[in-house]
Amino acid sequence: MSVSEFMPAAPVPVPGVAAMSQPPAGRRLDKKRFSWSSIPLLLPALGLLAALFVGPVIYSFYLGFTNDALLGPTSKHFNFTGTANLNRLFSDAVFHQSLYLTAFFVLGSAVVGATLVGLILAVAMQNALGVARVVVGGLVVVCFVLPPVVVALTWYAAATGHGTYTSLFGMPNADFLQSGPLLIVSAANAWNLTGLAMILFAAALRNISGEILESATMENANGVQRFFRITLPLLRPTLVTTILLMTLLALANFTVVYVMTAGGPGTSTMILPVYSYQQAFQYDNLGYGALIGDAMVILATILSFIYVRLSRERT
Amino acid sequence: MAVEVETLAAPAPEIPPDAVRVRPPRVTSGRVVSNVTLLVLGVLFIAPLVWLILDSVDSQASPTLQWPHFTFRNFTDAANSANLLALRNSVIISLIAALIATVPATLAGYVFSRRHIPFKGPLLLGILMLAGVPMSILIVPIYQLFAGRNFLALVPASIFLGVTSLPFELWIIKNFMDAVPIELEESARLEQASTLQILWRLVVPVALPGIGAAAIFGFINAWGNFLVPLVLISNSAQQPAPVAMYGFFGGNVIRWGEIASYSIMYSIPVLILYLALSRLFRGGFVLSGAIRG
Repeated sequence: MSVSEFMPAAPVPVPGVAAMSQPPAGRRLDKKRFSWSSIPLLLPALGLLAALFVGPVIYSFYLGFTNDALLGPTSKHFNFTGTANLNRLFSDAVFHQSLYLTAFFVLGSAVVGATLVGLILAVAMQNALGVARVVVGGLVVVCFVLPPVVVALTWYAAATGHGTYTSLFGMPNADFLQSGPLLIVSAANAWNLTGLAMILFAAALRNISGEILESATMENANGVQRFFRITLPLLRPTLVTTILLMTLLALANFTVVYVMTAGGPGTSTMILPVYSYQQAFQYDNLGYGALIGDAMVILATILSFIYVRLSRERT
Repeated sequence: MAVEVETLAAPAPEIPPDAVRVRPPRVTSGRVVSNVTLLVLGVLFIAPLVWLILDSVDSQASPTLQWPHFTFRNFTDAANSANLLALRNSVIISLIAALIATVPATLAGYVFSRRHIPFKGPLLLGILMLAGVPMSILIVPIYQLFAGRNFLALVPASIFLGVTSLPFELWIIKNFMDAVPIELEESARLEQASTLQILWRLVVPVALPGIGAAAIFGFINAWGNFLVPLVLISNSAQQPAPVAMYGFFGGNVIRWGEIASYSIMYSIPVLILYLALSRLFRGGFVLSGAIRG
């Protein structure tokens, strides 16, 4: 088999010219062509996404530069106010604080919390007794499945005075929601997300061939060496996927934090989604709330780009 | 200038018949560490769940983890007409959302899986990125769009919730259809079957587990959402269960037993659906497969 069979007129290909020779004129039949019947099939999905997803995102960038309000004279007839909102955003101490709180919440609950604990659980379960595996694994997944409002309620009760955790840590009179609110809401979110990370890691661990680990054992590699030299490198793709998925899920979280603390006490848990909601719907500044949301879109887009980049590099 | 590239397959070395591997159950330090770690983390994870269950049957329920003073009163109290109405609203909202997301996602997923369309790669990448956009940023522009048209009600809010699940559902369905062989459709095409016939008779039945998984995802996503109904539904009689539960916090006295039992009633449908999902696929296939693309 050779390329020249398809170039009957060029028995002696000259380098550089050979590439110019074309197949006979006409349409290539093996190339798939666009079929018009695809349009009605695509239309419902793309139409809905354009009208209720992409359009609103673009609209929110416009709203972010207006004095749109929930109530009052500017609720119906709002105007473009230029960089007024932007200036306010840059000098807004609560927004600055909110950026740090969001970073802590996302890193704490998604990376340190859900991903690390999920990995530890998945690895520990490989060597654990069957009963422990089924019971703990099953219940950790239940924590992931519970609706966010139930997560918030359960953790509110557990972290308050005489609650489950306050008693478990031997401080029944303390109220963790007052003494360490950011830590508690991050832990609650991690508790909620860990099950998903654990499922993803457990599936990836099952795909690691036992033979590699077995031969490492033959070479007298101990458990720690096997984990860091073999298992962890092989898990790298899953680790990247999981960290970024957890990060996006944590960034999107509104319910757990809002139901538990509503951003308080004071502004100590005012992560970006909660601050955006508060400005828009409690302080009536829809325009400014939209601008805070825009900051989140930009953050999420950057993270998505990194995610798509990293997941492509693997293949 | 035909250059034959000969690839000589190296003869496979003789593999000796596998010796029976004897693996006595040993107590290694690794196992001890694993089991202890699992136990400690397990207790920390499970304690709040145990509290939730015990509190729901405790006549003197409180945030404290204690052996219950057994009663079913909490459940009968929680099942009052307003709370049941909220649960019914949740069912309606989630069904509409799942339908609005799944039907368009199936049609479009088929095209993305089988047909040649211009800019397919960038379009799919864009849809994947939409799946990662935090929902809370859409709420202000959608509120502004809906408020001006008197759309602040159950049905428009449900449709919007469906659209928020659409990107991810499309990915699940497209990836599932990619794994389904194409030969049957090609022969049906030769028999002059229409696109809709092929889709309905051939593709949907074979891809049903994937479509079912996507629909369950859409349902659960809407079932758990709190922000969208809170902002986009103005009539309190149309509010779903999560908003009703948030209302429990409002009073001066928190009735823990009632909240705990209502939480369980509200969580059980999702637990059942996840069980169905794990029956459709073992382990993390749905999520890992859909996300990896």
